Amino acid sequence: MTFNLPSGLALQKVDERIMTLNVGPQHPGSGHMRIIVQIDGDYIVACDPDPGYVHRGEEKMAEYRNYITNIPHLERPVIHDSCNVLYPYVLGAEELLGIEVPERAKYVRVIASELNRCIYIMYWLAIYGIFLGHSTMFMWPAGDRELLIDLMEKMTGARVTHAHFVPGGVRNDLPPNFEDVCLRQVNYFEKRIKEYAAIFYDNPILIARTRDTGVLSRQDAIRYGTTGSVLRASGVDYDLRVKEPYDVYDELDVHTNVMKEGDSYARSKIPWLDMLESCNIIRQALQKMPKSGSVRVKLKPNPKTKGLESVYKRVESGRGSLGCYIVSDGKVEPYRVKLSVPSFRNLIALPNLLKGEKLGNMPSVYWSLNYWPVEADR
Amino acid sequence: MGTATGIIRALNSGIKHIAMKRFTLRYPEEKLKFVGDGYQFDPSTGVGIAGLKGRHMLFHDHCTGCQLCSIACEGVAEAIAMVKVPEEQKQNKKSIMPQIDYGKCVFCGLCVDACPFYALYMTNDYELSSFSKEGLIYTPAQLQVKPYVAQDSEIQISDRGATHG
Repeated sequence: MTFNLPSGLALQKVDERIMTLNVGPQHPGSGHMRIIVQIDGDYIVACDPDPGYVHRGEEKMAEYRNYITNIPHLERPVIHDSCNVLYPYVLGAEELLGIEVPERAKYVRVIASELNRCIYIMYWLAIYGIFLGHSTMFMWPAGDRELLIDLMEKMTGARVTHAHFVPGGVRNDLPPNFEDVCLRQVNYFEKRIKEYAAIFYDNPILIARTRDTGVLSRQDAIRYGTTGSVLRASGVDYDLRVKEPYDVYDELDVHTNVMKEGDSYARSKIPWLDMLESCNIIRQALQKMPKSGSVRVKLKPNPKTKGLESVYKRVESGRGSLGCYIVSDGKVEPYRVKLSVPSFRNLIALPNLLKGEKLGNMPSVYWSLNYWPVEADR
Repeated sequence: MGTATGIIRALNSGIKHIAMKRFTLRYPEEKLKFVGDGYQFDPSTGVGIAGLKGRHMLFHDHCTGCQLCSIACEGVAEAIAMVKVPEEQKQNKKSIMPQIDYGKCVFCGLCVDACPFYALYMTNDYELSSFSKEGLIYTPAQLQVKPYVAQDSEIQISDRGATHG
């Protein structure tokens, strides 16, 4: 019996004992991605992730639009984390256009960015819960996420794709009385997510399913170039908010969460700890934010850059370090925009994590990588 | 901590929620409350005013037919087309006004930022579904109408949990 494998994949033809299984691209457990696994009985022998089903050509599209009209489509790769995915592009465009951002706008951006990080992680956690068959953990995060979505709606006027950050600040000032509402809802949100510990993270069933599965050692995590929660779960203390602070993160007290185990459990717990830290950052930012002042620098209608220049900026998104490289040639459109996305970097670790695991552990290992298919394909 | 204790604690955490209030918004009966009358923009300062980015509203007496909103939309959704204003309606110099196709619009509001004459704002109206594609195209006369949006529900937080009250 022979297998017709797609050409160019890392898998080899194998003997009759081993079966090739396509998980996805329509399978709910893989997102818009195919994972080709070869299994011997219940154990995974080899695995080849096959992304690319939702390639949208965001980078090419950016070459035909000016610095402002690029904003709505560049936040589409991760709609739940749309402020963070746009952040490096906006920072880069500001440097190219030579704009100094008002202080209040920087704080508004930090608050929006931290709220978006929580919204993304709550969505991710809901899906992680349903992957492990924990229906309550699907319902609770999906419901509590509404608290933050409501805040983003008040702040930006849209529930998911905000188009709020622009070169020169943010689109609009905070609505009246926003600080009080934000503080009240974030405090309640923090109280709610602390309740997840008993039902999910300290639950013996979850621990039995995720402890010591898909272990990524510290050396491997660095060698593969993983970022974000995957890297921090393997014991590397690396967070761009601390290491390369952008906007006003250097004025805020940011604590990084690190775990040493490097297994699925650690990788699923780090984002939850990050959310608690985000609540702290939002409270600090609300306190330190200037109470009045401009939030946006007035730009000319079609801003042009000075000449042939390039800039690389990166931020810590909900999944890890997200970079944007912009080359400009002095026209109204950028010459080239390249997104360096964390999802794609974390995916590189997947084949090695799944080797030797049971097939039933595949969803928990795969989704613990904090992977977002649309962002990886961009 | 033993396995049995852990499972009992997990169950207990869920059981506590029987006494908590329901958080779900019962949508068609209850509708969310928004801040303000929708997203607006002040061209003199270059800063917007917070509000929901919903259906647009066009002020015919301010619109000059300059096409800046249509140009702003070109790279985004190409939803705005400049159409001829019928003779019985109020005319401007070029007698053209924007017509918006909500089948294409992404509600980013960059057209509102582009308008220098306070003519185009966004409103709280978000219920735009239609049975036909033509029904999603709003003519300048339709955009002139100020929508009525019911707003009766807001997130309220008490000791028994958050709820839409």
